[in-house]
This record gives sequence, structure tokens and C-alpha cells, in this order.
Amino acid sequence: MGADHRVFLEATLPHLEVVFQVARLAAGDGQEPEDLVQETYLRAYASFGSFRGGNARAWLAAICLNVARSQARRRRRRPWEVPGSALLDVMPRSQADSGESAADVADVVIAGLDAAEVSRCLALLPEPQRVCIVLMDVAGYTAREAAEALGCPRGTVLTRVHRGRRRLAQLLAEAGVSHG
Amino acid sequence: MDSHERVLAAFLAGDLDPADAQRWDEHLLQCERCWRAVREDRAGRQAAQVLRQPTPPGLADRVAFAVEMAAAARTGAERQARPPARALRRGGHGGQLRWWLAGAGAVASGLVITLMVLLLPGGRQAGSVPAAVAAVARYAQAIPPRTGEQHPQRAAPVEVGHPVTVTAGGQRIVLRTWRLGGAEAVVAVSDHPFPMPAGAQGVSGRGMAWSARLGRLGLYCLNGQTSELVAAPVPAAELAALAARLPLA
Repeated sequence: MGADHRVFLEATLPHLEVVFQVARLAAGDGQEPEDLVQETYLRAYASFGSFRGGNARAWLAAICLNVARSQARRRRRRPWEVPGSALLDVMPRSQADSGESAADVADVVIAGLDAAEVSRCLALLPEPQRVCIVLMDVAGYTAREAAEALGCPRGTVLTRVHRGRRRLAQLLAEAGVSHG
Repeated sequence: MDSHERVLAAFLAGDLDPADAQRWDEHLLQCERCWRAVREDRAGRQAAQVLRQPTPPGLADRVAFAVEMAAAARTGAERQARPPARALRRGGHGGQLRWWLAGAGAVASGLVITLMVLLLPGGRQAGSVPAAVAAVARYAQAIPPRTGEQHPQRAAPVEVGHPVTVTAGGQRIVLRTWRLGGAEAVVAVSDHPFPMPAGAQGVSGRGMAWSARLGRLGLYCLNGQTSELVAAPVPAAELAALAARLPLA
């Protein structure tokens, strides 16, 4: 057994926690996050020879997201898929339609944070926004790392995460109002 | 996203230079729309952070184990693919003899290598050792030979280390190692029955139970609500007695 797997584990195991956060929220139905993490590390190990010592966190996140997508494709279901009609139903209303003040939205969200509700609302966001929120706000990636993982400009990540956060807050506020 | 929003996103990320940031601070005092966007951004970020969860205990061990298995399989495959250097350099009968000897050596080590290859996700079920059984056998290879008392009748089983979860052959398997007197054994539990390897024999009077031998390891499988596979470097005749003293379901 060569020593390269020990080098690989030394370089990547410190990032297990962030990979797990990504896997938890990238895993589709019937997909266990722990299985996704294991598969991510096995794929990463298989291609470790071509890894040139860049940002290992970003590299692992990119692999994790790709594995989640490819496994979901095999099951013919996308992990982030939301029926179009459902999305239309929960799209945040415009300022004019909602009639809620700015303070109301933020206060409702902060006062009633519930992980299950947050998870449900997060699943309703468009995938690009959701992935950026998962990487930056849940897993703790910087915008630059998220951009590297997603292969897009950092500015794109910033705008996606900004829009996603606002939409998430609005969805949660609506849920809080309707449940309250 | 319009340019106004893009600049706002940059402001929130701290990307603006001090002068522009100061201008935005002042702007926010007067612009209700932008102030709302800032508050919603912060609320959304705070909400998302609720979703962080601690990493499950044992996940690092599981990942390290899986990578170690993949490394072992890779090394084994490379070894099999590489012809002996001396045999390549020499022709004639001497060279043929060395090829034959090298082949015999490969067969001898092939059992171990085959087990390793089988542990790769989706790995071939080469030979007749199912991947799930091979994974348990590979894990149990680390058990040291038995020492001390041969039949520790009064010893209570003591768990060694922590449980490790692996996926092999499409089965999720939880592996625990137990020490019983001077003997150690691995108990593997899965929701799906462990497939019988070729050469396995049914155990009379135990319904779906079977036993088999892989190298120095004895395997003993009991199937009930879960499937439990005991692997230990003990003679086949002693396996059932050993299994009876382990904490099986």
C-alpha cells in the first residue's frame, strides 16, 4: 500500500466537516449524506494525482456536488428539483403585493428560526442560489472558494447568495406569518 | 440583477473601497429599498446558519477506511499488471520458469488482492467472494492472532475501538470489534443478508446460517431481522461457540 493515501487523507480529512455540511444539503432523496461524503473522498482520492495543491476545500466541494448530481441523474431525480408549479406558488411576492414592511420580514425570520422550516424553504430556492448559500452560509466557504468550487466568477457567487438569502428570508417570513 | 443590486452585494461582502463603502452607509440611511435588502440578506444568512450540524462520530474513520481500501486495491491492481522485471530481461527456459514462479506467487497473493479490489464502490465481484463479505474479511485481517486462554468461558466480551460504517456491494455495514479473553472477532451487521461466498456451508439447525473460510479467517453468518457476520482468525469448529458468546441480536 503506497503512502499517497496517507498524504491524501492528511490534506483532505481536516475538511471533512465542511464536506459533510455540503453533502447533507446536496444529498437527494434516498441518498445518505454519509454515503455521499464517502463517495466524494473516494472520487477525490482517485483523482488526487491531478490535484495540483490548490484549495482542497473548494476541490472537495466541487466533487461532492458533482457526485450528488450524477447519482441523482442515475436515479432520474435531481437532488434540488422542485416542481415548477410549487416554485411559482412560493415565489416571494413583490414589495407592493406583500404589504409587509422590511422590518417585519427580518424580525419574523430571526424570531422564529426553525431548522426544519429553514430546510424546507431552502429547498424551494433555485439551485444556483441554494448551492451558494449552502457553501457560504452553512459550510462556511468564502465567496472565492465557492466560486472555485462552482467554476464561476466570484461576483456571480455574491449576487446569487445575496438573492438567495433575501428569498429565503422572505419565504421564512411568509411561513412564519401563515403558521403564526 | 441590476447594477444597484450588484453593488449592494459587493458592499455586503466588504468588497467596496472605504470611500464607496462610506457612501453606501449614508445611502442606506435614506433608501428604504436598499435597507430592506440588507436586513433580508442578514436574516437569510442567519437562518441558513441554523442548518449547520456536527459531523457524525465515526465518519472520519469510515472515510479513512474506505480510502485505505481503495489504496490497497490500487496497489494490488498495479502489482498484478506489472510483469516481473527479471523475467522481462531474460528469455529462454529460465525466463519461462521465472514467469511460472511469478504466476504462482501472484496466485498466492491473489486471494488478498482480490479481496481488496472487491472493496471499491461498485467493484467487480471477481472470483466468488461477494463484495460485502470481502469488506468484512478485509477489515478483520487486522485482527491479531489469538493469545492466552483458548476457551475463555468466563470472559465477557469487551468492545475494541469504535464502530465503523462502510458501504460495500450496495450494503451498509456496521463493523464492531470485540475482545473475548485472548481472542478478537469482528461482528458486521447489515440490514441486507450477507451473500454466501462459494464454498460456504449451511449450518445445520440454524436456518439461514452459513459458515465459510477465507484464508486464516473463519466466517459465520446468522440471518434474522438483520444479517450478522462474525469474522475471526479461529478454526471453523470454534466459530459457532465464539459467535454464541458475542453480543449478537
